[in-house]
Amino acid sequence: MNIIVPYSWLKEFLETDANPQKIGECLSLSSQSVEKIISSGNDWLYDIEITTNRPDCLSVYGIARELSAILPKFGYKAKLKELKTPAKKDLSSEKSLPLEVKISQSSFCPRFTALIFDQVVIKPSPKVVQERLEKCGIRAINNVVDISNYLMLELGQPMHTFDYDKIKGAKMILRESAGGEKITTLDGQTRSLPDGTIIIEDGQERIIDLCGIMGGANSEVDQQTERVLLFIQTYDPVKIRQTCQKLSFRTDAASRFEKGVDSEGVLLAMGEAVKMLKQTAKAKIASRLFDFYPQPPKEKSVVLKLSLVEKIMGIEILSQEVEKVLQSLGFKIKNSKKEEKEFVVPHWRYGDINISEDLIEEFARIYGYHRLPSRLPPLAFNPTENSGSIEWANDTKEALKFWGFTETINYSMTSEESLKKFEIKPEDCLKINNALSDDWLYLRLSLIPSLLETAAKNQDEGLKIFELSNIYSPQGEHELPEENPMLTGLLTNEDFRKGKGIVEAILDELGIEHYEIKPYNLQKTFYGKTFNGAKLAEIILKNNSLGIFGEIKKEILTRFGLKGKVFIFDLDFKELTKYASSQKKYQSIPKYPPVIEDFSFVLPPRTYLGEIITAIKEIDLIIKSADLIDSFEDTRTLRVVYQDKNKTLNDQGVEKLREKIIKTVEEKFKAKIKGKK
Amino acid sequence: MDIQRLQNLKNQAISTILEAKSEKELEEIRIEFLGRQGEVTQLIKIIPSLPSDQKKTFGELINETKKIIEEAIVSQKNNFHRQIDREGWFDISIPGEKPPQGHLHLTTTAIKEISDIFQKIGFEKVIYPEVEWDWYAFEGLNMPNNHPARDEWETFFIKKLSHPKYGQAVLTPHTSSSQLREMARLGKPPVRMLSIGKCYRRQIDASHAPMFYQFEGLVVDEGINITHLKGTLDFFVKQYFGPQREARIRPFHFQFTEPSFEVDVSCIVCGGRGCKVCKQGWMELGGAGMVHPTVLKNGGFDPKKYTGFAFGWGVERVLMMKYKIDDIRLLFGSDLRFLKQF
Repeated sequence: MNIIVPYSWLKEFLETDANPQKIGECLSLSSQSVEKIISSGNDWLYDIEITTNRPDCLSVYGIARELSAILPKFGYKAKLKELKTPAKKDLSSEKSLPLEVKISQSSFCPRFTALIFDQVVIKPSPKVVQERLEKCGIRAINNVVDISNYLMLELGQPMHTFDYDKIKGAKMILRESAGGEKITTLDGQTRSLPDGTIIIEDGQERIIDLCGIMGGANSEVDQQTERVLLFIQTYDPVKIRQTCQKLSFRTDAASRFEKGVDSEGVLLAMGEAVKMLKQTAKAKIASRLFDFYPQPPKEKSVVLKLSLVEKIMGIEILSQEVEKVLQSLGFKIKNSKKEEKEFVVPHWRYGDINISEDLIEEFARIYGYHRLPSRLPPLAFNPTENSGSIEWANDTKEALKFWGFTETINYSMTSEESLKKFEIKPEDCLKINNALSDDWLYLRLSLIPSLLETAAKNQDEGLKIFELSNIYSPQGEHELPEENPMLTGLLTNEDFRKGKGIVEAILDELGIEHYEIKPYNLQKTFYGKTFNGAKLAEIILKNNSLGIFGEIKKEILTRFGLKGKVFIFDLDFKELTKYASSQKKYQSIPKYPPVIEDFSFVLPPRTYLGEIITAIKEIDLIIKSADLIDSFEDTRTLRVVYQDKNKTLNDQGVEKLREKIIKTVEEKFKAKIKGKK
Repeated sequence: MDIQRLQNLKNQAISTILEAKSEKELEEIRIEFLGRQGEVTQLIKIIPSLPSDQKKTFGELINETKKIIEEAIVSQKNNFHRQIDREGWFDISIPGEKPPQGHLHLTTTAIKEISDIFQKIGFEKVIYPEVEWDWYAFEGLNMPNNHPARDEWETFFIKKLSHPKYGQAVLTPHTSSSQLREMARLGKPPVRMLSIGKCYRRQIDASHAPMFYQFEGLVVDEGINITHLKGTLDFFVKQYFGPQREARIRPFHFQFTEPSFEVDVSCIVCGGRGCKVCKQGWMELGGAGMVHPTVLKNGGFDPKKYTGFAFGWGVERVLMMKYKIDDIRLLFGSDLRFLKQF
């Protein structure tokens, strides 16, 4: 939460020789972050981000208190003006107007105070009050209402003023709301109250306050008001926070209450309010001080070992220095031994100081993080098994890049429409409960739709794109989904051989051997049906599918607004890395020259050439390769390389093998040799 | 007469061929002379009508002419390819033929740069779940339910997915959830973790995308202190942004570290003098701190014996600073006009 603190207001509580810029800089380095210093007439405004653990800094006085400890460390003088909590008797009149208070559960409201004033004169606030409120972004209303806002900014204690005569029966019942009650708040909005909201009702069962958030319109102070009830409390932060979340409504007061307001600071705020009401509204106290405070917090102290300070900060520290710094922040020494000290926590820090480490942070930040040296941690090694998939991912991406592919990263969340276009059932995907938009509702089960959408968006000739990202497969209602990395690529207007070549090159790059490329049979993936069935193949290794590739059906392409041919490969990257290897086998360079021969076969329809090539290679170890070099109508020309590592082959030497090749292909595949070239 | 005509034709053809400036022009010349309706071809057609004693000589002459013209065309074509003339001038300004070249996503490049830097000083790279239990993302990191600190992470929840012990499933809003997972995985120090992964928050504007990458460093061992954190951050900042850059830490608050810091780098635009982009010469990088004893305990480590530091921030945040990209949504928009720039 950010607050605005005017320099002129700050100076009322802090005597210092530091200039406005230095004050901002030092505050940032040792306490809360000053995001901007804005010039405003002859004044400066600090825009300060206050962290959630430091509600005590959400005020002008709180910032002045921090600075009084910080500035001396930077060599500036700094003296905080002390504020005295008034005695209770000074806040009471002898004769008291009546007020009946009932609090249904004391934990809702740790401290409840109220004081009634009469002879109140309503008029505009003094100019200085109006100006300060405006600088902080609050509109001035009248001298009574403004006091509550002014003191909230100055001391961090929110408060509220009621028109006493509008509280029917002079009765206040603080309780939880139930059964869908309503209140019209000061801003004119009627709000339905979630069950469990803390509210106050009066003697006629009218709800007059949405506690800690905003007062009710029915009891508001206006021009006719003569008697005012000043109301200062603290609330259970969790309760206030829950209500704000349910109502999606937050005020400056609520933002303070949900972080915790110091109950011990209530009377100080009351005293300042009384002074201002007397001064600016000529008000007279007309009641005793109503103060319900059943369980004041016990004194809190935290033990600190000097050795721990040194252990965390990494430098030697003098114990007097620690004492001095913590004292400047309001801590008191309870016990001081050589090695171990006990510090009493100031009441405004009860919420965030609990353990020794908290005290170390207090000391270290004031000491100055910028004064600590900078060292690299010593090297250490914890030998563990770690999957190499990250490194393989980098290598594969690099390879694809140099083959002309552009990497895309799409959102993991997708729309129902996109799933349906690709024939994925939305109910098979994980769904986000509080999605930002319908475009980002489900977690992806396949990367293909995202790539098709990317292709549609970038209607390029010869597009080559890929993505390597997780897909999320649900595993039941109490188990996290399986997050599986997929490597998915898309090529437009390329024929099947080119696409398949990329897949084979990826497998080569990963050093994967002994895989087979087969018609789509295992059907491990559920979306094989979106491919053109004839042009779809699967990579099989040890009865496991490593992925599929092929051309997407026309019908599906049309749904995505795509024309032409679209080739997709969709590889299970986790499976791939299981078999990946950077190990290369050395084979001695052949001493004797090879014999090379070309064979042209006329194949009968529906013959897989791949099987022929495998069959040829299996004939003899001397056959090193059989590669397709030409293809025309039904004829395929294969170039066969024979090589013997022990001798030079000649024509006669390969004659038997040649015959065997022809025989095998003709008999097994019913092909016809076309005359050897 | 026809022989003379043939001679003229040959000379004419050769001179036009030598003047030709492009392959297209050469092809036109070829068609003009040798095409089916070409002038040489027309002459061949008259052979049958010639007296028989002339047929042979004329035929040979025509063949010879045809061959000369063909050779001239080939030789001129080769000249084009070589871009070289008789004096040996060569056109080196001719565009080269590049091998295919694709593009890695900027985030991938940044992740690689970042991990290389940390791997140099002994960090091990790990990946942990993106769909995560509340306990790892919040509760175990010292952020109980209803803690106002949770507001800093606008979290996505998953429908119908919860664990009796670990609570609801969320899309992890930060890589800090890896801290507990890594400590549990290792079982004992030393920890030198660099976790990089996708994170998700319910926010969208020029500097926030609902999905982004974060990286998280975690070092736990005996004797780890704030000076080690400072050293690590200085090392990273100088390696990634350049040797002139400085890092600094300022107080901040996280529930899972104590003390907690915000990490700044001296402005990469103005070099620290102060400008429009930065705050008084500094730019915010991310968060850091000494691991909270409760988190060490939740990770299964003895907080009395071990101390540690952690830091983490958005990958896109640093790369946007480095490349001066003003809208994070460009990175995940799959617009190739953008992706192909890198």
